[in-house]
This record gives sequence, C-alpha cells and structure tokens, in this order.
Amino acid sequence: MESSHSDVSRLTPVKIVVAGGFGVGKTTFVGAISEIEPLRSEAIITEASEGIDDLDFETNKTMTTVAMDFGRISLKHDLVLYLFGTPGQDRFHFMWNELARGAIGAVVLVDTRRIEACFAAIDFFEKRGTPFVVAVNTFHGRRLHADQEVRDALQIDRSIPIVHCDARVRVDVQRVLVAVVEHALNRATSSAGVG
Amino acid sequence: MSVWDPPHVQVGGRIVRPYTMTGGRTSEGEQQIALEALVIATADGIRNRHRFRWESAEIIALSRKETAVIELAALLDVPIGVVKVLTGDLRDQGAVTVTDPPAEATEGEGYTDLLNKVLDGIKSL
Repeated sequence: MESSHSDVSRLTPVKIVVAGGFGVGKTTFVGAISEIEPLRSEAIITEASEGIDDLDFETNKTMTTVAMDFGRISLKHDLVLYLFGTPGQDRFHFMWNELARGAIGAVVLVDTRRIEACFAAIDFFEKRGTPFVVAVNTFHGRRLHADQEVRDALQIDRSIPIVHCDARVRVDVQRVLVAVVEHALNRATSSAGVG
Repeated sequence: MSVWDPPHVQVGGRIVRPYTMTGGRTSEGEQQIALEALVIATADGIRNRHRFRWESAEIIALSRKETAVIELAALLDVPIGVVKVLTGDLRDQGAVTVTDPPAEATEGEGYTDLLNKVLDGIKSL
C-alpha cells in the first residue's frame, strides 16, 4: 500500500486554461487526455443584480454558483499539469482572472459553425497577455474553413498559432497542448531579448 | 433577480449554508492560494485529524497524497472558496503544507526551463 507521505512537496503544479463558447467541447477536450475523469468544482460568486438601482448596489447582490471542469496529467520532472475548462457563460468572465493567473497558456477552442462564441475568450487573453493558441474543433474530422478564413474572422495576430483537432482524440489534444507550450516558450524567449 | 438566495451545499448528508463552515469568512484573504496549489498533510495533521471538524478532517485525509485545492473542492463537493479558507487555516495550524504554482512570469531562464520541462512532459505522454 502506498501510504508513505511527506511534509515536503515533491510536485510542482502548472496549468493550462481551456476556453471557448458554451458547448464547444471543452470538457471533451480535457477528458481526452486527463488521467482522471474530468471533475467538476463549484465556486460561489457574488454579482450585482441586473437592472437594479445603482444606489442600492451593495444590497442588491445575488450569489450564483459557477461550475468548472478540470482534469489532471502527471508529467515527468515532478510536474503535474492541470487543465481547466472555463465556465462558458459570458457573465462569469471575471472568474477567468483567477483561472488565468499563473497559467502557462490557454487554448481557445473554436467551433467554426459558431465562431463568434469564442470572441470573448480571445479578447480576454489578448488583454491579459496570456499566450494562447486557437484550436479549431473539427468534429468528425472535417475542416470546414481554411486557416486564413479563421484568422480573418478572429482578427488575431499572425504570431498566434491556429491548430486543428478533434477534441475527442487524445493525440490531437496532445498536439494542441504542445502548440500552447511552444507558443509560450517563443513568447518567453522573444520577450527576454527585448528591453 | 433581486432575491438574495444563497446556494446551499450538501455536506455528509447535511444541507448547510457553505460559509457556515468557515464562520462566515470568504476566501478573499486567501487569494494567494491558487486553484491548482497542491495540499499535502503533515504528520502532525494526520495524527491530530480527529480534532478537526468534518470538512477539515476530510481535507487532511484526502491530502495524504498531494491534491490540488480544486480537486479537494470537487471530491468534497464543497465550494472552492470554502476549501481555500479551510486549507489556509490548516496550513496556519501546521496540519498541511501548500505548494503554490510557480509565480507568473513571462521571461527569465527559470521560466523557460519550466516550460521546456512541461513541453518534454507533454510530448512524452
């Protein structure tokens, strides 16, 4: 039985955030590579009620439960990688700050049939300066749009990688994660050279 | 939606308001504990586990093996903010230690080393 425990931690936790619109396949993506079944955690957030007199701002708050799904991958070198699926609903965006804090990078998962669903995620990571890649979820293995069309629609910088994946397929998800970390590395090494 | 309707949480068969577990304290002062911070029980914590309330004792039990704050929340079915407060208390009492993720960085040799290790790790999955 593995009952040995230690006061001294051996592992370093790192994380990658998986964002995108509701129903785009974030939990499927996480589940395809996680060593555990994706788990769901809940946070209670307080938000101002909509359409209420501002004068009563303090008293007009509602508490809402936000769920996020996550998975875990043990890597060699004593690292454990957590994959966090962002809550999809627009009004929970401010939870993303906590999710993005300390993240190596992010995946913005895109369904090209509803490309606008990922705009908020792209805005957020651009503003925050979190390195991200765009992963087009090619359900059923079909590419619906050329990369350039996706890039034009999203108005993203040329340096941001666009990759294709089937979010159900482990090697595809692995490839996307590699792209995220490589992109973060490029950013880290190029910014080290600047001023 | 102006009705103040706090969600309730089921803990071990009881329905409780979540922040009664923390004496009404929220996790705002515990922001330094990240969602992915790893919690591990100390020998002291394990020995004295029975002295803690149910939720805290469960955190100690689950963190015999390094477990992230967010995993504790999922496994205990308790909100993340509550787990942060309780974990912070347990840390202050020496019952657990908490390993925070590396500080956010965008440059520096240490950071690129870390990224390279992560990259190798993912490639060799």
